[in-house]
Amino acid sequence: MAITHALAVGQALPPLEKELTQRHIDAYSGVRTRSIHTDEAWARAKGFRTTLAQGMMSTAYVSEMLTRLLGTGFIRGGSMSVAFVQPVYAGDRLTVHGVVKDLRPEADATRVVVEVWCENQHGQKTAVGTASGLLR
Amino acid sequence: MIQFTPLTYDALKVGEEFVSDTLLVTPEDVDTYAFAVDDHHSWFSGTSPFGGPVAHPTFAANQALRLRHSRYVVHAGLHAKMQFEFLEPIRVGMRVRSRGRVIDKYVRRGKQYMVTEYVTEDEAGTPLVRGQFTQMLIPA
Repeated sequence: MAITHALAVGQALPPLEKELTQRHIDAYSGVRTRSIHTDEAWARAKGFRTTLAQGMMSTAYVSEMLTRLLGTGFIRGGSMSVAFVQPVYAGDRLTVHGVVKDLRPEADATRVVVEVWCENQHGQKTAVGTASGLLR
Repeated sequence: MIQFTPLTYDALKVGEEFVSDTLLVTPEDVDTYAFAVDDHHSWFSGTSPFGGPVAHPTFAANQALRLRHSRYVVHAGLHAKMQFEFLEPIRVGMRVRSRGRVIDKYVRRGKQYMVTEYVTEDEAGTPLVRGQFTQMLIPA
């Protein structure tokens, strides 16, 4: 259900926490050989300590945060721009953060722009960017 | 018949276009996606303000991200950047496909990148999601 109370610039959104198990990664990426996401030996051969989650999984988490905030105004009218700045490994725990950055009129609604980022259990940012949607 | 070739920076051409196969959006696939990202919003499995169940907004993103696999054997790669515009909901029961075009390739700090813009459409050609992504090529 979307949050309907008034939003303010600078307001922090409720964070999301996500455990990325190999099972989640397998379901997301599909199990394949010679994949850095689902074949541990292949991931190690490519220089990673273990399998990696797809960066796209973090966009799904941001999408969940914005859908919780704006409901239909994100599913129809939302946007996102994210850079993946650190790898996310199987077994990591991510916390997804969002802070309202801008509120601006758009047609008969208000576009809510949120600065978003994901942090791993070591406090390192793994994804950074912005997402927005319409508050009607 | 498609003649697959290894993806290399030199082989890749700016301007080349890709089209995915068509994907039927099934309740099972939507449920699997919900499990994968641990987001079980009620709109994914029951009624929604859109008149029926819808998929997670990023549900079809991997169809787009894998567009290059329709022509190339991809050794390995990393996703560097992603942009989305969510235009219309992806509804359960739709058949969706993605079309993309390589709009840039470049080398930065010794790493090779490709940039693709894409659209995911329903069977009538209605755009559902537009986006752009940057992928780093990991050489064999």
